[in-house]
Amino acid sequence: MNTAAQAPILEIQDAVHSYGSVLALDHVSLRVEPGEFVSILGESGSGKTTLLRLISGLEQAQSITRLAIGGQSVIGKPPAQRNCTTVFQSYALFPHMSVEENVAYGLKVRGVARAEALRQAREALAVVRLEAKAQRSIGQLSGGEKQRVALARAFVIRPALLLLDEPLAALDEKLRIDMQSELVEIQRSLGMTFIFITHSKEEALTMSDRVVLMRRGRVEQIGPPVALFDSPSSLFAAEFMGFENLLGGRVLDTRDGTALIELANGTRIRSRVGGDQPLQAGVDAGIAVRAEHLRLISAAGTNAPAGVNALPCEPSPAAYRGKYTERWADTPAGRLKLRNWEGKNVDVPSADTVIWEVEDSIAFPA
Amino acid sequence: MSTSIPDTQAQVAPPSLAAKTPWRTLLGRIDWPLALFLVAWFIAVVVPLLGVVVYSFFETKSFFTVYTPSLNTWASIFDSGRFEVILRTLRIAFTVTAVELVLAFAFSLWLAKGRASRTVKAMTLALMTVPFFLDLSSRTIIWRAILGENGPLIPLLTGIGLVEPGSAGILYSEWAVHFGMIIALFPTMMLPVYIAISLVDDTLIDASNDLGASPWQTLTRVVIPLSLPGVIAGILFTLGSAMAAWVEPSMLGGGFVNLLSNSIESAYSALRYPVLAALTTLIVMILGVLVLAFVLIGRRFGDLSSSFRVLRS
Repeated sequence: MNTAAQAPILEIQDAVHSYGSVLALDHVSLRVEPGEFVSILGESGSGKTTLLRLISGLEQAQSITRLAIGGQSVIGKPPAQRNCTTVFQSYALFPHMSVEENVAYGLKVRGVARAEALRQAREALAVVRLEAKAQRSIGQLSGGEKQRVALARAFVIRPALLLLDEPLAALDEKLRIDMQSELVEIQRSLGMTFIFITHSKEEALTMSDRVVLMRRGRVEQIGPPVALFDSPSSLFAAEFMGFENLLGGRVLDTRDGTALIELANGTRIRSRVGGDQPLQAGVDAGIAVRAEHLRLISAAGTNAPAGVNALPCEPSPAAYRGKYTERWADTPAGRLKLRNWEGKNVDVPSADTVIWEVEDSIAFPA
Repeated sequence: MSTSIPDTQAQVAPPSLAAKTPWRTLLGRIDWPLALFLVAWFIAVVVPLLGVVVYSFFETKSFFTVYTPSLNTWASIFDSGRFEVILRTLRIAFTVTAVELVLAFAFSLWLAKGRASRTVKAMTLALMTVPFFLDLSSRTIIWRAILGENGPLIPLLTGIGLVEPGSAGILYSEWAVHFGMIIALFPTMMLPVYIAISLVDDTLIDASNDLGASPWQTLTRVVIPLSLPGVIAGILFTLGSAMAAWVEPSMLGGGFVNLLSNSIESAYSALRYPVLAALTTLIVMILGVLVLAFVLIGRRFGDLSSSFRVLRS
């Protein structure tokens, strides 16, 4: 996709916002292309909801260089004059209106005639498969249905940008997974740009074209889900993406996107470099490895196979976890976690070394 | 065909249930708290009221009540100019309620959804309850000094240029009575309206703004419909109190502005209990008609119970 030719649907440059003494957004910039599904991922308090409220206009930024929706600057404009709508976490459906009146609300306040507004509302309800419940009152709907009404109410006015504030957080497990794929389908069929706030790594990775990982009001890493999952650019990103084993050391040398790192105990590890910035020789670096990428072998004093990293270790007995087994291995560099998905009989007798591929470990500036 | 139904029931129901006497199953079905409430309400409210209604068909002759049913007392109410008093009372009560509604809604909207800080809100609400601890007469009597001929109001208004020098005060006029009642009944209207408005979820207002509504549209389409229960409660409380107002008309009206309560009071001191009963019946009937009208109006503007649903969450 050639995105360079298209104007971005959303441009944020250098947004700063604070509540009292708490800095909620710390120089955040973001560009979103038309038709993208972008997730903003972060823990509570990371500033993701503040960013959303800044875009929708429910909050005015204390300092911002540029905020444009569809190429037009919306700095200082009230929410009603911005070409974007929000799906609220609590749904915020009007309890005194029926389902179709809720959906038609945005059209009616824009002066669309009642009959036409209700017709479009029913069309939107058909997209979310709720046309049969158009006359119901809000109190008669289940959580998932409320969610879909809120979605229909937001997209029926055809905004350039749809903002979703943790819309799946209140749903139960099964419904959440169904809604994940449904949301993506709706987004594809409408061709609309979605900005999706979530604290769930799984939601962000499965639904989005790009993920924005936020931490303490700053953007930690932006990239496609695969890049975030496989190549975190910082210790926080690695931890958030579920890397169980984190080691620290000093960079000795870099070559072909890999770095040679000396751990505190003197062991040398070769690792792929994550993120975009190259590692300089001599700086401190972190290394992350997933538990399932570690393997035990019995080296019995011989040298480890070439091209892999190896650490001598003392493994603990495997703990059964249903679909997989887990065990700890004590190495001179610290305790490592191992996970095995391959079934029962994989115990290596007299295992004394843990190994992993260079490709499977990620290095980033510490 | 009719026998087949008991057959199937006998198959399903265990024998012990079938053996139970019908009145026992009936007792089990009664909603006891509701039944007790209805009985208590009947004894405490309906029975005395019925007594009052019955009494209004008796009459008084030389300070003795004659227990012969007649319409003489009712006829005397409409002959003696008391009917004018009723109309005046209704007019003043409605005017006061309308003015209160506008003032209290605007004030509550600012306090509940404006930029008032938490401290300002708490202080204002606390101040609003202060009048409930003070006697109405002592609160009202001070206005006699202020509104009277020698009070500070006339020099003040003259100073601004609103009235000509040497004008009489507004004391002992309908203006003064209206004024006194608006001051006294403000918390009565404001507190229920404030509670209803503050219960309107902020995210609903956010959602309305976000969907493109102007502040006016958000007010008329979201805030007002959702605060309707409080508004109706406020109107009924204020209207009821305004119709029963006694202190303001006697202290600030000075006998020139006679309202229903003054009429009742004079009947009471003259020991004319049937007149008292007839006037009371009339007030209850008027209030009943008003409540009914509100229910009907509420229905026109959509299902009233749906606006009460907000209070549940």
